Amino acid sequence: MEIEKKNDNSIINIRDLVFEYTREEDDGVVCAVDHVSIEVPRGSFTSIIGRNGSGKSTLAKNVNALLLPSGGSIIVDGYDTADESVLWEVRRRVGMVFQNPDNQLVSAVVEDDVAFGPENLGIPPDEIRTRIKDALNAVDMYEHRKMAPHLLSGGQKQRVAIAGVIAMRPAIIIFDEPTAMLDPQGRGEVMNILEKLHADGITVVLITHFMEETIGSDRIIIMDRGEIALDGTPREVFENTAEIEALGLRLPFAVEIAARLRARGVFVPQGLLSMRELADDLVARKEGAR
Amino acid sequence: MIRVENLTHVYNKGLAYETKAVDDVSFTVEDGAFIGIIGHTGSGKSTLIQHLNGILKPDSGKIFVDDIEITNKKTKMAEIRKKVGLVFQYPEYQLFEETVYKDIAFGPKNLGLSDDEVDFRVKEAMALVNISFDEFAERSPFELSGGQKRRVAIAGVIAMKPAVLILDEPSAGLDPKAHTDILNMISMIRKQTGNTIILVSHNMGDIAQLSDLVFVMDHGKLASAGPPSEVFADTAFLQGIGLGLPPATEMAHYLAARGCAADNIILTRDELVDFLAETFGSGGEAK
Repeated sequence: MEIEKKNDNSIINIRDLVFEYTREEDDGVVCAVDHVSIEVPRGSFTSIIGRNGSGKSTLAKNVNALLLPSGGSIIVDGYDTADESVLWEVRRRVGMVFQNPDNQLVSAVVEDDVAFGPENLGIPPDEIRTRIKDALNAVDMYEHRKMAPHLLSGGQKQRVAIAGVIAMRPAIIIFDEPTAMLDPQGRGEVMNILEKLHADGITVVLITHFMEETIGSDRIIIMDRGEIALDGTPREVFENTAEIEALGLRLPFAVEIAARLRARGVFVPQGLLSMRELADDLVARKEGAR
Repeated sequence: MIRVENLTHVYNKGLAYETKAVDDVSFTVEDGAFIGIIGHTGSGKSTLIQHLNGILKPDSGKIFVDDIEITNKKTKMAEIRKKVGLVFQYPEYQLFEETVYKDIAFGPKNLGLSDDEVDFRVKEAMALVNISFDEFAERSPFELSGGQKRRVAIAGVIAMKPAVLILDEPSAGLDPKAHTDILNMISMIRKQTGNTIILVSHNMGDIAQLSDLVFVMDHGKLASAGPPSEVFADTAFLQGIGLGLPPATEMAHYLAARGCAADNIILTRDELVDFLAETFGSGGEAK
């Protein structure tokens, strides 16, 4: 077998991934991921967006070997997800946070819940205590460590679920619509944690329907029918306003307003992604014209 | 008309975690009005609306829908269901029948209606939620996309022909296209049925755009009520209870702080684009 020169900077290497499954009703074969190749640099923040059924979640579940490729391969930090003998090496490196926090919390006390993962890794008790403390501090939930999870708000529950993942010390965390069931305050809390983890060097992959959440990422991948439709920095991707709308997606608020202003004949430069950037640019341009 | 008088509901009564989920709430809703209810998780929104179709009974207080007192123990649930339809969060989890047709027909059949009437109602409800009868009636609801499933579940409530339709976070978890489809569907239902609609949502933009009146819940109390132009003008109050503004309003606020204030409050994207085009259209253009 020919060994490719390893790119040391990439921590996830998805090569020509195909994932097929059989539909129950008629035994038809569905191709959920269709020849996708992605290299994710270590420490980067990648957002994946796309309509329901576009293959985003299937792709993510392949990365930590919850699903195995029908074709192609995924290498996580040097380990092939299809190699059963290294399954736990893969799982230790890739943590996952899902949409519904209620489905991810297993214990009656917050700190027990965070301990669950490290205990299963066979980590010594002293080390586990340190990890619980660090993980709960990282999500700002340490003072709630003795609480019962069901008494927490949605955002707090999701932060505890994230602490449970952090305590496993993964190099990569995949967030699969982590804010879909939260109110605006809870969404803000979870996004702050996510950005902090990225700043601390963890490789972050975020799957979301909220376009505003992707603005701060290094790279956005838009999936459509199992394939990559667009791939680039937020500025590059959101220039394709017509294509994004044709894919059944919405633009970030500021990008949509800017596009509508351009259609009304107002000059607005490309690449203004946040409301403040757009407002500042409009004000500065008006003042400059005086 | 809906009249709620001094409604109070206590969870975990007598326990350490006793909480007044709804605390002495009173209001009236006129026929055909569109009410938006906002408030952060745990503020009492869902508990409140579950009283409006009789699923929860209050610890004290009364609710009248037209002339029926639905909080009276003697009032039959079937009577209430004919008046008030409630679409829960993630209603697609409650689909259970083999076909879309049977699922939507389930409620009307239980009302003891004739087959012809049931058939008529299923067709009417499917048209209102924009799911093609010919294409989908005989399909399994479980084969549909997330947004389609949700619309079928909503059709099941509409087929009961309620005068009041309550929707709890109807677009939660949907992709942007399905979200827009649901909003358009709600507008169409309102136009064609004249129903009173109560929408619970975290999406301030949707609430600002659709509602005649906005009710703000906080700690079980009705903390504020008024048209969107009044409720969303009180930024400090909303932020104080952990709520945001519609994005268009937020941007207008930011511009006002930079010396470009609009004459009137801006609530929708359309209003914002008009304001920006007027303010920055000529003088702001690059040379």
